[in-house]
Amino acid sequence: MLLVILGGLLPAAADFGPPDVPYENVPYDGRFAFTRLRFTPSRWGPGDYAWGLDLKWNHDYPRSDSHLSKILQATTTIDVALEGTDIFALDDPELFRHPLAYVCEPGFWTMTEAEARSLREYMLKGGFVIVDDFRGPHWYAFVEGLGRVLADARLIPLEATHPIFDVFFRIDPYTIHHPYFAPGPPAYYGVFEDNDPTRRLMLVANYNSDISEYWEWSDTGFIPIELSNEAYKLGVDYVVYGMTH
Amino acid sequence: MEALFELLFKYRPTLFERGSLGLGVSWPVLVGLLVLAALLTPTLLRYSRARGKADGRDRVLLTGLRVALLGILVLSLCRPVLVLSTVVPQQSFVGVLVDDSLSMRIADDDGRARSEFVRATFGDPDSPLLEALEARFKLRYLRFAESAERVAGVDSLLFAGQLTDLATALARARQELSTVPLAGLVVVGDGADNTDGALTEVLVALRAAGVPVYAVGLGRERFERDLEVSRVEAPRAVLEDTTLVADVRLTHRGLAGERVQLVVEDGGRVVHTEDVELPVLGEIGVRVHATASEPGPRVFTFRVVPLEGEQVVENNRRDVLVRVVDREEKILYFEGEPRFEAKFLRRAVDGDDNLRVVTLLRTSENKFYRVGVDDAEELADGFPRTREELYRYRGLILGSIEASFFTGDQLRMIGDFVSERGGGLLMLGGRHSFSEGGYARTPVADALPVVLGEAEEVEPKRFFASVDVELTPFGRTHGITQLGATEAESAERWGALPPLSIVNPVSRAKPGAATLLTGTVDGQDTPQVVLAYQRYGSGKALAFTVQDSWQWQMNAEIPLDDTTHEGLWQQLLRWLVSDVPGPVRVMPSEDRVSPGRAVELRVEVRDEAFVRLNDAQVVAVVVDPAGHEREYPVEWSVERDGEYTTRFSTAAPGFYEARVEATRHGEPLGSATTWIEAAPLTTEYFGAERRTELLERVVDETGGRFYTEETVADLPEDLSYTESGSTVKERKELWNMPVLFLAALALACTEWGYRKWRALA
Repeated sequence: MLLVILGGLLPAAADFGPPDVPYENVPYDGRFAFTRLRFTPSRWGPGDYAWGLDLKWNHDYPRSDSHLSKILQATTTIDVALEGTDIFALDDPELFRHPLAYVCEPGFWTMTEAEARSLREYMLKGGFVIVDDFRGPHWYAFVEGLGRVLADARLIPLEATHPIFDVFFRIDPYTIHHPYFAPGPPAYYGVFEDNDPTRRLMLVANYNSDISEYWEWSDTGFIPIELSNEAYKLGVDYVVYGMTH
Repeated sequence: MEALFELLFKYRPTLFERGSLGLGVSWPVLVGLLVLAALLTPTLLRYSRARGKADGRDRVLLTGLRVALLGILVLSLCRPVLVLSTVVPQQSFVGVLVDDSLSMRIADDDGRARSEFVRATFGDPDSPLLEALEARFKLRYLRFAESAERVAGVDSLLFAGQLTDLATALARARQELSTVPLAGLVVVGDGADNTDGALTEVLVALRAAGVPVYAVGLGRERFERDLEVSRVEAPRAVLEDTTLVADVRLTHRGLAGERVQLVVEDGGRVVHTEDVELPVLGEIGVRVHATASEPGPRVFTFRVVPLEGEQVVENNRRDVLVRVVDREEKILYFEGEPRFEAKFLRRAVDGDDNLRVVTLLRTSENKFYRVGVDDAEELADGFPRTREELYRYRGLILGSIEASFFTGDQLRMIGDFVSERGGGLLMLGGRHSFSEGGYARTPVADALPVVLGEAEEVEPKRFFASVDVELTPFGRTHGITQLGATEAESAERWGALPPLSIVNPVSRAKPGAATLLTGTVDGQDTPQVVLAYQRYGSGKALAFTVQDSWQWQMNAEIPLDDTTHEGLWQQLLRWLVSDVPGPVRVMPSEDRVSPGRAVELRVEVRDEAFVRLNDAQVVAVVVDPAGHEREYPVEWSVERDGEYTTRFSTAAPGFYEARVEATRHGEPLGSATTWIEAAPLTTEYFGAERRTELLERVVDETGGRFYTEETVADLPEDLSYTESGSTVKERKELWNMPVLFLAALALACTEWGYRKWRALA
């Protein structure tokens, strides 16, 4: 009853604008810079951007992105830009200088026709997309959005034996559960060129999972370090695989 | 001029060249002349002292004139003679060598074929030249083309020989006539010599034997109108679907400004056409590109459509045998760090069935990720530590991997991979490449086509610059950098490509290197060397100094269906491994021969470390056009380590496949295959103008003389005055040469005129 009363007191949804996310991209110089895609989230809850508080695509930013960058620098020979990370809109031409990108909360992504076309070209030209942090019914919005990008794309389940889980660290991704709650066990899907699993993997999706949550809080003790380690291993594998395949 | 000489001196200059001068006066007469001179001396002295109106200059001049006149008189009285060796009629032989090749059919003498002169002169009994020769000599005829044989006369000649081997012909004639008194050899032909015969050695032998060679040059020295595909340079072997780059040289006479169409055919199928405007200068080079899409031995034809009024149309086309190989070439790509260049490079050649890039990727210290290996053993210990292991690959790509990663022996091994094994090395730009990777003064730096700065010259701060890539003039025509069907299309495509970036400032290519791409860097005066290569020992090394060529695939401005990136990398890597030898190589002496000619196969045998082996067992199996196999033992040549040779003869026209297999102690070392085509050749129609220079060289070095159809009438007399054959000495009187009388008359008249002018007595 209290919630209903409070809800009725709130202003109209259109009154809320997107929350401010200050960021400055790293100028391109050939090094690997962790790249996150931004999109306009679909409306959820009362008002746009959930009372003007939530962008969805920026979940765990910037700590998760910079933490993974440091781990990459420490464990691999990748030349990583540590002074910052990148955020690009789906149709930003500059995105094409960074052939590996991360998408958070795709269950809320929306895109214009130009954005969908740009992301399609990005993936078909050779870009690799990591999709993370979605669960349960978010699946439908993710699939709908993916269908706008690649109409014929099929999400093919990835076995734990897939090379992507063994390119740098050998891990069993199915042991990395959602840090908080999910209606089911983690699942991993891939989109391949021509829907052929023997060809190039263009997108990997962590369903019922949220590995960037682990990355974000790994330095606080909020999440057990063993779990964070596994999430980092998965992230490193994704990046190494995406940079070499 | 020669006629004037003969008018004044009684005989032709040749006789003076051949003979020696002497005096025919007998000793008593000579003594008498000396006594007479002694008696006249006081008179002359008195004459010289005579005084009158003459001054000193008059006396000197008049005395000189008088002495000269007396000198001529005395010389004539001494009976000067020309002593010549003259053949004894019908006791000496002359070998007549007649060119029996195809080029003698060329009708460049007012529509008359060169062969017609031969028939009219040496085949007609009423020919004055033949009559004169037969009156003095016994004639022996030889025909020559690819070989030389004795013939009874010129009537049996067909003028159908497909090659001309002048050296063999002269040697054969000398041998045939070695037992008879030989006055000389007469070569009748157009001077064509299109084999590798050892002409110099033969000429030296003839000169030593005192056999002069006379030459009768037939045909025009310069055609009025003719176009010729004078040269085609194309690789002998390429991978299937490779763009074949051929340099075609067109030579013309009198066709400046005309436009012609150059057509390239692969087995009769047109694969490229190009319009060419003929320049004022007599030749032009054209670089053409055509795709070699059919595997096996392929005959590529390069032809220009004949123009009206051309003297010879058979020289408008050339055929080149190209071995199109359908095999997978293994290239080792060693990358020091995961980076997008590695991903996109591998992806670019992923669809190329003839290239396999085996990737060894260092993902962390001493941790490697392998892609494309044959088995679990391959590269299991990282970068190869032995030559046997490294030399399994035909190409080596070094990515961003610092020199200090390698041991000293591995660095030397990489250098030897290029220089000794004959492999292709490519270094890519990256933070650990070139100078920034510490390669200066290493064996790898020696192989690279660019100059690396010393360690102290390397900027401590990371260098980064955007670079606009541009084609060099050389790059416009090179096969690696062709991005379009024509050079113009390719240049346009290059101009539209987005900039890349570099972290290795490289501005100097080595003196022997070829630079294909350069780059403009803001704030830098000297252009960046982007793509360059050089030959190094048996192999070649390339430097591609950008770090992100993948942007030509990913850039937002590049259309999705654009294949620039894939095409460039496929061309580059195919070129990198082109002509890289295996442990066993077979090379035919000629890859196109006329049916019936023999072919020598030269085989090189090495072990896995590419050390030449002399104790291998080598066998060649030749499959003729009918499919019949015949085995030939291949023996060590002794002249060079690891070199073996054998010969086989062709018969029917068609392709002959030669498969060579080498073993050692029963263990296979390797095999190689080549093809030879036996087909009627048109070599005779190329460079078909009369080669006076060659014929004059032959006669000059043997003491003979060169004639044309206009001057050949002098041949019998010149042949008569020779030291060769059965000869006698002949003395020809010179006292009555008109020139002596004219000189005496001129001196007397001059003296008389001078006295008259000076009013002297």
